[in-house]
Amino acid sequence: MHIVVVGAGEVGYHVAERLSNQQHDVVIVDVQAQRLDYIVNHLDVAVVEGSGTSTAVLEEAGLKKAGLLLAVTNVDEVNLVSCMSARAVGGLVKVARVSNPDFYRDTRNLKPDAFGVDVLINPERELALETMRLLQSTAATDIAVFAGGAVQLLGFVVPEHAPIAGRTLIELAEQEGHRPILLVALERDGTTIVPKGTTDIRPGDHLYVTARADEIPRSLELLGYEQSNVKRVMITGGSTEAYYLARLLPQHHVQTTLLIAERQRAQELAENLNKVLVLHGDATDVELLELEGVGGTDGFVALTDKDETNILSSLVAKRAGAKHVITLVNKRDYIPLARHIGLDAAVSPRLSAANAILRYVRSGSVTRVATFEGSDAEAISFEVSDTSPLVGRPLFEADIPEESIVAAIIRGPSVIIPRGNDTLEAGDTAIVFALPEAVQAVTDLFPS
Amino acid sequence: MNLREILHIIGALLMWTAAAMAPPIVFAASEGLLVPWLVTALITAVVGLGLWRLTPREVSINPREGVAIVGLGWIAVVLAGSLPFIITGTAPTIPAAIFESVSGFTTTGATVFPVIEELPKSILLWRSITHWLGGMGIIVLGVAILPLLGMGGAQLFRAEAPGIPSERLRPRIASTARSLWVVYGVLTGTLAVIYLLLGMSVFDAVNHAMSCLATGGFSTKTSSIRDFSSAIQWVTILFMILAGTNFTLHFRFAMGRWMSPFRDEEWRWYLGIMAFCWLVVVASLVTAGDELLTGELIRRAMFNVTAINTTTGFATTDFTLWPTLAQVILLGLMFMGAMGGSTGGGFKTVRSGVVLKHIAGEIRKVLHPQAVVVTKLGGRAIRPEVLHNVLAFLALYMLTHGLGTVVLASLGQYDLVTALSASLAALSSIGPGLGDVGPVSHYGIMTPMAHLVLSMLMLLGRLEFYTLLVLVAPGTWIRSGGDR
Repeated sequence: MHIVVVGAGEVGYHVAERLSNQQHDVVIVDVQAQRLDYIVNHLDVAVVEGSGTSTAVLEEAGLKKAGLLLAVTNVDEVNLVSCMSARAVGGLVKVARVSNPDFYRDTRNLKPDAFGVDVLINPERELALETMRLLQSTAATDIAVFAGGAVQLLGFVVPEHAPIAGRTLIELAEQEGHRPILLVALERDGTTIVPKGTTDIRPGDHLYVTARADEIPRSLELLGYEQSNVKRVMITGGSTEAYYLARLLPQHHVQTTLLIAERQRAQELAENLNKVLVLHGDATDVELLELEGVGGTDGFVALTDKDETNILSSLVAKRAGAKHVITLVNKRDYIPLARHIGLDAAVSPRLSAANAILRYVRSGSVTRVATFEGSDAEAISFEVSDTSPLVGRPLFEADIPEESIVAAIIRGPSVIIPRGNDTLEAGDTAIVFALPEAVQAVTDLFPS
Repeated sequence: MNLREILHIIGALLMWTAAAMAPPIVFAASEGLLVPWLVTALITAVVGLGLWRLTPREVSINPREGVAIVGLGWIAVVLAGSLPFIITGTAPTIPAAIFESVSGFTTTGATVFPVIEELPKSILLWRSITHWLGGMGIIVLGVAILPLLGMGGAQLFRAEAPGIPSERLRPRIASTARSLWVVYGVLTGTLAVIYLLLGMSVFDAVNHAMSCLATGGFSTKTSSIRDFSSAIQWVTILFMILAGTNFTLHFRFAMGRWMSPFRDEEWRWYLGIMAFCWLVVVASLVTAGDELLTGELIRRAMFNVTAINTTTGFATTDFTLWPTLAQVILLGLMFMGAMGGSTGGGFKTVRSGVVLKHIAGEIRKVLHPQAVVVTKLGGRAIRPEVLHNVLAFLALYMLTHGLGTVVLASLGQYDLVTALSASLAALSSIGPGLGDVGPVSHYGIMTPMAHLVLSMLMLLGRLEFYTLLVLVAPGTWIRSGGDR
C-alpha cells in the first residue's frame, strides 16, 4: 500500500519504520529539511519537504494513489487541516493524531468527519489507558486487551518461587485441568518461541499468556503473584500522558499524587484536575519522594519527558518499596536495561502510537494489532470468513505456522481459550500471536 | 471624579423613586393622607428633576464614578424613601423614619412600629414597594431601563449586585438587568396569585409577595405570617428558598436548561446546609422541650430556619424562646445568609464555601509543603484576586459586626445578645434578631442614635461595604485627568 505520513517527529518516524519493514511504500512529509535528511539515511522511505496542510505538497507525496494518510505531527490543528486538505481524495483512509483533551473529549461538538478524518487517534491517552491496565494487573509487564477486555494478553516474568517454575506444559495441563489460560509465547535469553507441550518453564522466563478476564487472578497465583487492589498511586511528570492518567485514576477511586517539576505546568494541571494532589518538585528529589510516602504506594508511574529521570526516580521508588513501578522509556535501547535493573514494566509513547495506528493499517480482515516491547512478536485479530482454510478443522490438524498460535477465539458473546481439538467457525474472531517471520503466512490464512 | 455627572444620574433615580410613590397615593386619598403624600412625591420629583436638568446631558462614567453613583444614589433614595414616614407623621422621630426606609430598601424588614395594623394602607404598601425595589436593586433597575447609563452600566451593576461576579446572562448589561427583573417580576406575580388562591386578600397577597421575593420581611400584620393558614406558610417557605437562590439559576432554568441549578455547586451547598439546619432545629426542639414531633412543629422549625437563612425575616414563632442550640444555629445562618446573586443578604453561601475550601487547601499545604493547591468552585479555579477579595470581605464583615456590637452596647440599655444579634441582623439584612429584638418585639424600643447606627450597618451590608467605603476613602474625590 502507498502510505503518506505527515510529521517526521518521534511518532511519525517509528510508524514509518514499522510500515516500511512490512513492505509498504511510505512517503514522509515534514517542514524540517534536516529531520528529513536524517530519516532518509535511516529508513527506506521517500520524503517530501513542505507543509502537510498544503494540497500541492500532499499530491507531490503521491496522495492520489495512497490508501492511507497518517497525520501525526505534534500539532493537532495541523493534523486536522491536513486531513481536511485530503478530503477530496476518494478511497483514502485518513488518520489524525489528536492530543488536546478538548478536541478528543468533545466529540459532540467536533465530529471527526467534519474534518474529513476517518479515525482520531490519541497516543497519549492510549498510553495512559495501557498504564492503567498495567496498574490493575499488578505483575504484568505488557498488556493488550481484546473484545472489550473479555480476553487479555499479558506478559509476565516468572519469579524464583513461582509454582509453575520447573514444570513442563504437559505437566501443568495435567495438574491444573482444563483452564481457560493459554501460554502463547516464551522469551528466554533474547529469543521468543511459541512453546510446545514439552517446553519447561524456568524462573526469569518472560511469558505471554492469554486468559479470560475472570481467570486472571488464578493465572497470577500460578505465576507466583498476588492480585492486589490499587489504592494509592504516585505519578511523576507533567506530560500529556500524566494528565490523562491522573484524570483516569480518581475515577477508579485511586488516591493519586502527581509530582511536576515545572511550576507553571503544575499550576495548570492543578487547575484542571480534580481529586488529585499536585506537588511541585523534582522527580529525583529522594527526600521529597520519601516525605510523600512513595514507599507505601501500590503503583509508581514515571512519566516525565526524560528517560534518565524516569529510570532514576523509578529506582528510588522501587527501593523505597513501591509495589509496582511503571516507567516511561523513549529510547529503545533502555528498555532491556530497565528490566534488567529490576523495574517492573516499561511503557513507550512510540509503541503506543504505533499500536494505535497500525490497528488501522492492514486492510482486509485484520481488526486489531498489538505489539510488545520485549519482542518483535505481534498479536493480530482476524475476522474468520468461510473461505479460510482453517474453518471446520480441529486446530491440531490445521496447517498453522509453527511460529504462531491461535491465542483466543471470540464467538458471539463467549470467549474460547482454544485447545488442539477446538475448531474455528466462520464469523468468529481469532486472535493470533505470531513471530515476525510468520506474520505474512498467518495473514494469508485469513482471506477477507 | 465628576460630581456633576454623578448628580445627573442621581436626579434620574430620584424621579424614579417619585414615580414609585404613585401606587400608595391611590390609597392615600381614602385615608385623608392625600396632601402629605403629594407633597412627598413632589419634593422628590422636583429635587430629582432639578439635578437632572442642571447637569450635563453627556454622561460617561469611569469605574470610580460608577461606584460613587451607586453609593450616593442609595443614600439619596433611602432619604427620599423616609419622607412619607415623616410627612404623614407616622414615624415618631426622623431617625426612626430613616431606619424604616433603609430597612425597607435593604430588604432587612426590621420595623420601628409596634402595631402594624394601625398603619395606613398607603404606608404599608410603600414599605413593601421599598422592599421590592431594593431586592433586585434600584440601580440594576436603572441600568435595565435607562439607556443613558451606557458603557458605565457594568460598573454600576457590579457595585450593587451581591456575591462573587458570575457569568453574564446576556452579552449586553442592560438586557442582563432586564432579564433579571423579568424573572423577579414573574416570580412575584406567581406568588401573589398563589396567595390569592389560598385565601389572602388582594392587598395582603401583593404586599407579602413583594416582601417575600425581595427576602424583605415587612408584613401587613404584627404577627407576620403566623396567623395565616399552614398552606400559605408552606408556600412561603418554598418562595423564600427561591428568593434566596441565585437569580442567574432561575433565568437558566426558565430558558430550558433544567439541570442547571443541580449542577451548580453553590446551590447544592445552600440547600444542603438549610436541610441540615432544619434537622438539627427539629431535633433540638423535640429533645429540649416537652413538645411532640408533629407536622406543626416541623413546619414551624422549617419556616423560621428558612426565613433566617434566606435573610427574609418573616416569623411564625418567638424563636428567642428556642433551646440555645437552635438559637446558635440561627445566629450562624444569620451570618452566612443566602446565595450570591439572590435578593438575600449576609456573607453569602458561595463566600462561605470558598473560605472553607481555602482553609482545607491551607491544611493540605501543611501536610504537603510542596503541594500546588488551587481553590476551585464548580470545577473551575478561583483566581487569587477573587480569593483575596473574599478573605478581605470576611475580615470586613467580622470587623464591622464587632464594631456595630460595640457601638450599640455603648449606647447603654441593651444586653450582649441584643447588641450582638441586632448588629448582625442589620448587617445581613435579616430583620428580627435575638434577645430584646426578637420576632415578637420591634426596633421602636431603640434610641434614635441606635436607629442611625443600625441604618448604617444595613446599608453597608446591602452594598457589601466597598461601594460605601470608597465614598469616604481619601483619593475618591480627586479630579481625574479627563474631568471638566
